[in-house]
Amino acid sequence: MRTDRRTFVKRLALASAAGAAASLMPGVSFGEEVARAIEGLSQPVWRKTPCRFCGVGCGLLVAIENGRAVAVRGDPDSPVNGGLACVKGYHSVQMLYGRDRITRAMVRRNGRLVEVPMDEALDLVAQRMRETIERYGKDAVAMYGSGQWTIPAGYVASKFFKGGIGTNNLEANARLCMSSAVSGFMTSFGLDEPMGCYEDIDHADVFVLWGANMAEMHPVLFSRILEQRERRRAVTIVDLATRTTRTSYAADRSLIFTPQSDLAIANAICHEIVKRGWVNREFVDRYVAFKRGKTGIGYGLEDDFRFTEEAVDATWDEYVRFLEDYTPERVERISGVPAREIRWLASLYGDPSRKVMSLWCMGVNQHTRGTWMNNLIYNIHLLTGKIASPGNSPFSLTGQPSACGTVREVGTLTNRLPKGEVTNEEDRRLAAEIWGVPVERIDPRPTHHTVSMFRALDRGEIRFLWIQVTNPMVTMPNLNRYRSAAQKEGRFIVVSEVYPTPTTDIADVVLPSALWIEQEGMFGNSERRTQHFEQMVRPPGDAMSDAWQMIEVARRMGLGELFPWRREEHVAEIWKEYIRFHDTPEHRMAPYEELKARRGVMWPYVDGRETKWRYNTKYDPAADPARGEFDFYGHPDHRAWIWLRPYEAPPEWPDEEYPFWLSTGRVLEHWHTGSLTRRIPTLHRAVPRAYVEINRQDAEELGIRNGEMVRIISRRGSMAAEARIDYRAQPPRGQVFVPFFDESMLVNELTLDAYCPISGQPDYKKCAVRIERMGMTLGGGPAR
Amino acid sequence: MSGRPEDGPGADPDPGWGGHGAETRRRVLGIGSAIGLMAALILVVGPLVAPERELPPHPKPTPMASPGDPIREEWEVFRTRPGSVAVLPDAQARSGAKPRTLATYRALRAYPGAPPRIPHGLTEDEFRTPRCNTCHERGGFSPRFGAYTPVTPHPEFRQCLQCHVPDGQMVGIGFPDRAASGVCLQCHSLARTVPSIPLADWPEPDWPQIGQRAMEGSPPFIPHDLHLRGNCLVCHGGPGAVAEIRTTHPERANCRQCHVPAPSAEGEFTRPLDREQIIAGKEP
Repeated sequence: MRTDRRTFVKRLALASAAGAAASLMPGVSFGEEVARAIEGLSQPVWRKTPCRFCGVGCGLLVAIENGRAVAVRGDPDSPVNGGLACVKGYHSVQMLYGRDRITRAMVRRNGRLVEVPMDEALDLVAQRMRETIERYGKDAVAMYGSGQWTIPAGYVASKFFKGGIGTNNLEANARLCMSSAVSGFMTSFGLDEPMGCYEDIDHADVFVLWGANMAEMHPVLFSRILEQRERRRAVTIVDLATRTTRTSYAADRSLIFTPQSDLAIANAICHEIVKRGWVNREFVDRYVAFKRGKTGIGYGLEDDFRFTEEAVDATWDEYVRFLEDYTPERVERISGVPAREIRWLASLYGDPSRKVMSLWCMGVNQHTRGTWMNNLIYNIHLLTGKIASPGNSPFSLTGQPSACGTVREVGTLTNRLPKGEVTNEEDRRLAAEIWGVPVERIDPRPTHHTVSMFRALDRGEIRFLWIQVTNPMVTMPNLNRYRSAAQKEGRFIVVSEVYPTPTTDIADVVLPSALWIEQEGMFGNSERRTQHFEQMVRPPGDAMSDAWQMIEVARRMGLGELFPWRREEHVAEIWKEYIRFHDTPEHRMAPYEELKARRGVMWPYVDGRETKWRYNTKYDPAADPARGEFDFYGHPDHRAWIWLRPYEAPPEWPDEEYPFWLSTGRVLEHWHTGSLTRRIPTLHRAVPRAYVEINRQDAEELGIRNGEMVRIISRRGSMAAEARIDYRAQPPRGQVFVPFFDESMLVNELTLDAYCPISGQPDYKKCAVRIERMGMTLGGGPAR
Repeated sequence: MSGRPEDGPGADPDPGWGGHGAETRRRVLGIGSAIGLMAALILVVGPLVAPERELPPHPKPTPMASPGDPIREEWEVFRTRPGSVAVLPDAQARSGAKPRTLATYRALRAYPGAPPRIPHGLTEDEFRTPRCNTCHERGGFSPRFGAYTPVTPHPEFRQCLQCHVPDGQMVGIGFPDRAASGVCLQCHSLARTVPSIPLADWPEPDWPQIGQRAMEGSPPFIPHDLHLRGNCLVCHGGPGAVAEIRTTHPERANCRQCHVPAPSAEGEFTRPLDREQIIAGKEP
């Protein structure tokens, strides 16, 4: 149903006149009568929801009219974004209505996907799952989800696989996205997720962005930073990056470093802080311990790679000696960043009168030493005591709407449970008790992290794989290997999706999924804020929520007693059950009713109060004031740990044969693999296809003209793309960049499946390629 | 696989992060022996002369040199501090200044994106050595014209007359005394604020439609090219902004967070469900 502009505006006006409550609190505080009255007038009704895209979790208001979502605005009452969104959020509802939306279940017969009734498809999934378990054992079936799962969906997956089937073959694409952030938090603090929150932006004087192009990837938070600089003037933004981007132009200073040398730069900053006497001695003595881990830890390129970290006590003196290697001059020689700039940066961190916020995302996490990089940034903040207080905040950004809420908090990873680790008996007992299953059913051994899981699929140890809400046939590094793995005989792949993708191409069964506001759910954003959204429109055709698909299959497998809920109430029931896992002051969560009524609630939520700064005894109810100003209660010694993490080289770097670094990433207009954003005409038209960014001088030397087709080749694969010179960003000489959203230009066929041994997260930012001219152009080309 | 660390420093022309390794070490040793005794006495110097430890091999560093001139369309948007143009909405009206309107904006341009011609007189001196930036770099109220001066989005170009042309008959007339002179009517008709230039056969061009958007309430697209016009606020913000396209929120600095260009070439994205070449031969 289309509404012309005039009717729409008139209806909006009527809607606000219909009741003060309606306009003041759109979406939530409507009495049902008011809502009905408004619907009776056929006016749009505004409902609140977190955005479906990145991990910022902006509050949006969606206008629903005649059963369709017709408009979006930023929610002025949301503490996350205060009414501002970005171009993706503003156009988000259009993704519900792409013409190639999957609305029916499909089964592959004679090589083609054939529509079948939903029940038939669910029967087949359950049957194949059961057969696979009977023939090959419970660890031959696996589930691969994502940080786009709603919290209820992730919870059902965990209960189904870990509590029902009894396998730890449960992973999520967040492993490719922020598991280094998790292991960074776990090793430095003993508990996951940030101590601070977005409000830190309003207090900080200095913002250091570690390899994060926030102007494009976290634009709403970046605007909040720019607003602070405009308002307070004495605010400094430093962009520390491997290429010059929109963020570099907006920053006060842009420092370009050689890939991988961030490890050395962080240590050089600490070297300077120690040498210049900027260490906050009182803080360090009281709240910090020093640890040494393993070194020379490898890159996980071998199938049988295994790694276990060990923490060994270290002393302050040992730490100071360790830092001696990292003089700014020596670090300049490997990073390319002048020593004076490193000193200047250290002075910003060291200046006791300035509050400093560090922000990072994929540049730090997608790193073969990702855990180390996370540790090193915390080291800087711990040395100076600039942590866990307003404006002093090392802040790990996330890329998916519920990477925190679902994958990290529910624990949809092989090693995790909704609370704690599968290896921990106490955690297994709690899960067994809440789930009502024998504790022996929960397997104490983690199986595979994501890369390892796809390798196990290749080797035939995993035979059945169910993929929900993600697109691994675009995102897996070294993609050629894992695509052929999935296509091998004797593998059965189920894909729950909303649009055809390269992943549905390899599916044996495709299940149509409900998308975003077509179901009720919750997302958890990167500042520990859980946000509820209700179902606002009907899913098309037979489409069903991911959570309910799993429940249907579990019931068919005889595991129905684990999921006794009625469909109308299952989200509320799941939430009530789930929060029993977190019923301690460190992580208590808001009750369902409150979540439904409010613009998200931050945990720990204790006695009706959100916790903005964890570990700070002034704010955090779990922190013990007897320990002083801070209590880092995540570790048994109640201290935060500074780790001695050295610089180690990347697994592959440019040489004569492959002379360029390749980095991959996103653009503002597209999100993840583009399967949603490309269905939004505004976004598709703005950036219709991927390209390769190349430095102007390099292009001149190779004789490459702007817009010309080139082939980029790595040791693992090759792709053709248009060369773009000075288009959106500028790589320095010797580097190229390719966005990964375009399924017709699969840059992940080139990337290396090396990963951080501690987190299992692959490095999508560094491998070596060469470039060849193709002597042709596609014509047209994206406008700016 | 070459390029792996096991190939060691040999694969790299600048080995060892001790930098220009051998040379540095020689120098350090030289200094070490020269001040040997002193170093032994002054403990603090100890660490400085200790031989550098073996450090891992590493890739060749990126030269910190600028990657090139900035990308104008990316960089310009951040050039104007929003605060400098964030005037109160009624400031323009209260000043009694003539508003800059789309009509005058268009009248000075032959087609969308054309460099505007100069609508005012230039003295002979100004014509020889243009100093347009005196007024057009920063903007502000001009008593001469009773209006706010439009701000250039590209003040770094100083050869203004290369693209922006005056009307020949206005060169040399300088700035007339508006109160006393009838000279205005030489160029301005009584009805027009912008001097008209008669044209032989030039139809009114298709000006970009204002306020095109995907849905009600969504941020409008950018309906024009950004070449030399990447600094949004000079036209869309401040008292010199064109009235009809003045932004309500100049404080939001990262304009293209919400407003994206709308090229017309590509339509919808859809893709076929089956890609036979990928799934050939596979049966459940």
